[in-house]
Amino acid sequence: MKLVANNLIFEDCKKSCGDIKSLSELKGNSILVTGGTGFVGKWISEIINYINKTGDYNIKLYLLARDIVKFQRQVPHLADLPFISLIEQDAGNIHQLPIDINYIIHAAGSPDNREHVSQPLKIIESFYKGTSAVLEAATRLPNLKKIIHISSHKVYGKNEFEKSINESFSGKIENNKLDSIYAESKRIAESLCLVYRNNFRLPIVTLRPFAFIGPYQDLDKPWAINNFIRDAILGVPIRILGNGLSVRSYLYGSDMGYWIIKSLLEGEAGEVYNIGSAEAISLNNLAKKINNSLDSNNEILNKSSKDVYTDLSVIVPDNSKIIKHLRVSQNFNLDDSISRTIVWNKFKK
Amino acid sequence: MNKQILINDATLRDGSHAVAHQISAHQIAIYAAAAEKSGVPIVEVGHGNGLGASSMQVGLSLEDDRTMLETARKHLSNSKLGIHVIPGFATIKRDLTPALDIGVDVVRVASHCTEADITQRHLGFVREKGKEAFGVLMMSHMASASVLVEEAQKMELYGAEGIIIMDSAGAYLPCDVEEKISALVNGLKIPVGFHAHNNLGLAVANSITAIEYGAKILDGTARGFGAGAGNAQLEVLIAVLEKLGFFTGIDLNRILDASDIAEKELIPQIPVIKSESIVSGLSGVFSGFSKHVNRISKEYDLDARDIYRELGKRKVVGGQEDIIIEVALDLIKKNK
Repeated sequence: MKLVANNLIFEDCKKSCGDIKSLSELKGNSILVTGGTGFVGKWISEIINYINKTGDYNIKLYLLARDIVKFQRQVPHLADLPFISLIEQDAGNIHQLPIDINYIIHAAGSPDNREHVSQPLKIIESFYKGTSAVLEAATRLPNLKKIIHISSHKVYGKNEFEKSINESFSGKIENNKLDSIYAESKRIAESLCLVYRNNFRLPIVTLRPFAFIGPYQDLDKPWAINNFIRDAILGVPIRILGNGLSVRSYLYGSDMGYWIIKSLLEGEAGEVYNIGSAEAISLNNLAKKINNSLDSNNEILNKSSKDVYTDLSVIVPDNSKIIKHLRVSQNFNLDDSISRTIVWNKFKK
Repeated sequence: MNKQILINDATLRDGSHAVAHQISAHQIAIYAAAAEKSGVPIVEVGHGNGLGASSMQVGLSLEDDRTMLETARKHLSNSKLGIHVIPGFATIKRDLTPALDIGVDVVRVASHCTEADITQRHLGFVREKGKEAFGVLMMSHMASASVLVEEAQKMELYGAEGIIIMDSAGAYLPCDVEEKISALVNGLKIPVGFHAHNNLGLAVANSITAIEYGAKILDGTARGFGAGAGNAQLEVLIAVLEKLGFFTGIDLNRILDASDIAEKELIPQIPVIKSESIVSGLSGVFSGFSKHVNRISKEYDLDARDIYRELGKRKVVGGQEDIIIEVALDLIKKNK
């Protein structure tokens, strides 16, 4: 059963990567991923595994995270790969990094908003200290070519009026709210990147992720699509909490992984790129789509504090910049993304 | 007006406080069947302090959780079986997992109004299992509207599908309800609910105020059977809601029958607002303390009102029942 799930991922990587010749510059290079055992780290590992197997690129991967044992237990097929080295460390405690690192993907820090409101001090501290420590250590790497800082769309603040958010958008962040802690922490991290790029000439590219879906994303995470899929698989009513007209979009995991890898090579230092899908959908329609994907007729319940909403939340990126500059494309539409996520979740055990 | 209000009937849970948690399986069977006939959406069952709470500290139940839930389950088919869960009393492995296996449909995970953090794992677990999960903020008079919104927002992120604030001490005035319910409705995505106590004679009025300001969930109990001065009287609430044009899905005649059955079979003494209940409400003391305070005041020959006032000063919350004796001993020392 698990083999089916792993094969599905390998096929996904193949489709997202296409012709890997454009990645030949990575041959023999070493990449460090902080927060390397999370959703981003697992997909980067899968993409590099695909590239190494297909093209004999001999890319080395360092995955740095606090809980390596969990990673070894969850994905032994990745943890045992010979080109992957696991480093058990909190990003905030980094001092010396392996000297052969050429690229860094700084993805440490949880996007789980339950943690943001439960442990806000820890969130601020981990983003500030983690980012500072990684960048400081990076200044001592002799062969460093690029750093990708994985930020968040949350830095844009609230969007009620634009159909999509471009990289120069600036919305309101309500500073006096606990759920703004993550956005503020990411803004601090982006500011640190600016300082290290300016003062130390570190070649830093910022990616601002929107929503993703796919294998390796826990269905118990507090995000609409995850919960809809989980409820649909369980065969219980799909519950839309809040305004069902809210608009979101979702990029599939392997596309995300490939786009990040491409940004290592094609991303321009100092630039900011949105990373996400432009295929917008309301939560109401998303729930119906998931039902259709499972060919099921689960009840869809709307649970909301208000009968009428005067505002609308739209979190959809304008991804034209990353598509043009990095020459990437979305290979999995939302229908494919949902159906492959469902299949993977059914076969993962 | 034809807005739908979700009714949670807490007779077999909050009523448990009123009889020192001595509700029998037979009584549960009788009332659950009557509530089912009435079309009550959710029937909440268990020890007054919720699942896993039966203890020397807060009172031992006559029946264990399994017996209570299995009995209720047998008599509920259209009505959902609900439970009240306070993390700390109820653990996921020992209590919640078997309860869900028995067939509980709705889990209301409760914490003191400033401690929503403790509900994360329980709420997450219930949603993982595909059941309905609500967050409950108890003793909500002790926190400002803005604090309640922050705590409720945490529960919303943890997976709650609705937030109910409890006026556990029966301390609210309608203006308090207006302020807090409005703030929660504006600050949350998910429906808001209100659980009233009747210490100041305002339980039904406060419940109606809550829905006027956007609440969509109300709690009530037959004849107001509940802790202290009791809760919002369910059959009165249904009648008033019907008169106001709200839809609850409950048949008025049958809920009147159910409350008659409750009075005959379940309630040894209809809750009245006793003098000490008024003082308890004014002091903001958890209604679940009333049995303990009555017993201890008699035992130590103290005026129960003095104990309530002192408990109120100390801002004691549910689960701190053992402090009542400490307060009594301090009062004796002072009186000497």
